[in-house]
Amino acid sequence: MGVLWDALTEAFRLLLTGDRETWEVIARSLRISLTATALALALGLPVGAALALSRFPGRRTVLAAVNTGMGVPPVVAGLVVTVLLWRSGPLGPLELLYTPTAMVIAQTAIALPLVAGLSSAALQHVDPELRLQMQALGAGRWRSLWVVAVEARLPLLAAGMAGFGAVISEVGAALMVGGNIAGQTRVLTTAAVLEASKGAFALALAFGIILLAIAFSVNLVLTALQQHGRP
Amino acid sequence: MTALLELDGIEVHASGRAILAVGELAVARGETLAVLGANGAGKSTLLRVAGGLLTPGAGELRLDGAAVGAAALRRVSAAVLQRPLLLRAGVAANVETGLRFARVPARERRRRAAEWLERLGLSDLARRPAHSLSGGEAQRVSLARALVLAPRLLLLDEPFAALDAPARAELLADLRDVLAGTGTAALLVTHDRREAAAVADRTAVLEDGRVSQVGATAAVLDGPADAACARLLGFENVLGPALAEALLHAPHPGGAAVRAADVRLRRGGTDGVVVRVLPYDEGPRAVVDVGGARIQADGAGVAAGDAVAVVVAAAAARPLRGPGAVLADRTVGF
Repeated sequence: MGVLWDALTEAFRLLLTGDRETWEVIARSLRISLTATALALALGLPVGAALALSRFPGRRTVLAAVNTGMGVPPVVAGLVVTVLLWRSGPLGPLELLYTPTAMVIAQTAIALPLVAGLSSAALQHVDPELRLQMQALGAGRWRSLWVVAVEARLPLLAAGMAGFGAVISEVGAALMVGGNIAGQTRVLTTAAVLEASKGAFALALAFGIILLAIAFSVNLVLTALQQHGRP
Repeated sequence: MTALLELDGIEVHASGRAILAVGELAVARGETLAVLGANGAGKSTLLRVAGGLLTPGAGELRLDGAAVGAAALRRVSAAVLQRPLLLRAGVAANVETGLRFARVPARERRRRAAEWLERLGLSDLARRPAHSLSGGEAQRVSLARALVLAPRLLLLDEPFAALDAPARAELLADLRDVLAGTGTAALLVTHDRREAAAVADRTAVLEDGRVSQVGATAAVLDGPADAACARLLGFENVLGPALAEALLHAPHPGGAAVRAADVRLRRGGTDGVVVRVLPYDEGPRAVVDVGGARIQADGAGVAAGDAVAVVVAAAAARPLRGPGAVLADRTVGF
C-alpha cells in the first residue's frame, strides 16, 4: 500500500507544483495522440462509410482486413512503421524515425482500423432505406450521407473514443518509433516504463495515474457530447 | 386532364432481366393513381423511377409534356415509404427535414411545419421525440414531412401496410381529404386493393413489371383481365374454362373469376360436396369440392358433408383472358 500512497501523493505533487517536465510530457502525449486520432478519423470514417454503404468487389476482404487490424498488437504496428522509416527503409530519407511525427504515424496506423471497423458497424446499423427517404425529400447525395452519419452519431463518437483510448495508452509503438527521448519523444506511457525499469515505482505509478486522469477527462468530454440531449 | 408525369417505354434491368417494363403510364394533374401489384411485381421500382430516385435503363419520363431527368423529378416530388424512417429528433424537427434540405429560413420552416402538424392532427405531439410515437403516429409524421414540401407529385410506397386497421382507415380518410384539398397528384403503390379503392381515381395493375390493366379504379377492381389479376383483386374463385362452363352454363374460353359471396349453395344438389364451413367476418364461408376442384361459396345454410347445387349468377362472373387463366381449376387461398 505504501507504494500506491506514495504514487498518489507524487502524482498530485507533480501536477500541482507545475513540474515543467511533467506538464511537457502530458502536453506531448495529448498532442501526439489527439493528432493521431484526428487523422485516423479523417481517414477511417470515409473507409468505414464506404464499407458500410456501398458494394464493391473485394468489400468483404477489406472488411475482414479491417477487423483483423482492430486486433493487431501496437508493437507490431510500431515495428512496421520502424522498418518503413528506418534509415535504409523506403521512407528513410524523410528522417522521421524517433520524432513525434513518427509516433503520430504509428498511432494513426493503430487507431485507423479501430475507427474504420467501428464506424462501419455503426453506419450499417442505420436503416439502409434512410438515405433513399432523405433523397426522396430533396437531399443530395452528400447531404443524405451526412444525415446517416448524424443518425449514427452515438456509435461514431464511440469509434473515436476507442481510437483515442487505444493510442493514448499504448507503449510498444511509441517506444519503438519514438525512442523515449527526453524533451522530444517522451510521453506518459514511455516515461512510466522508464521510471519503473529504474525502480522508481512511485513516479511510474504517478505517470500511470495522470494517464488515467487524462483518458478519463477526454472521454468525459466525448461522452458528454455523445449523450447530449438524452435523458 | 393534362398529364403531370408520363412514363414512356421505361425499362429497369437487374441481374440481366427486366424487372420493370412500362410502355405507357401517366399521372394526371391532381389525380391519384394507384399501382396495384403483388410483392416483387416491380411496384417500388416504378415508384423510385417516378420520383427520380432511380434512373431507368431505357425510356423517357415527361413532366408537363417535356422530357426530364431524375433531378427534375426529385424537385417536384416527395415520398412516403412503407416504414416511416424518422430521424432521431423531435416530431416538429422531423417534419421540417425536407425544408432544411431546401434551405427554407427557420421561421418559415416552423410556420409551415406547424400548419401541417395541425392539418394532420399532430399538434399535440410536436414536441415529442419521434422515436416515442406509435406506428400510426409515425406514419402521419412521415406524411406531414412529405406534404409540407408542397410537392406536385406525392409518392406513396405502401405507407399503410404496417398499420393496424383503425389507424389505416383514419389515415386513408385524412389522406384523401388532403389530396382533394391541395390538388396534389399522387402515385400510390400497394398490394392492397382496399387502399386503391379508398383513395385512387384510377388504378393500374402491375404484373411482373408490366402494366396489365389500367383504368377507373372501380372498373379495374371489378374487372380482372386475367387469373393473376383476379387473385390480386381478391376474387376467391378463379375458374378454369371447363369448370367455368360447367358452373356458368356458357363457354368461357379464358376461364372466369367469381367472388365467393356470389356463389350460392342449395342443399340436395349434385354439383359438389361441402368440405368445410369457415366462420368469416362477413358470414360463413363454405369450401366446396366440385369434381376434384375446390371453390369457395356463401356458406349460409349448409354444413360439411352436404351435397349441394352450385348457383352462380351470370352477371357475377368476370370472364378472363390470357394464358394465366388456363393454368388450373383452382381457387385462391386454400
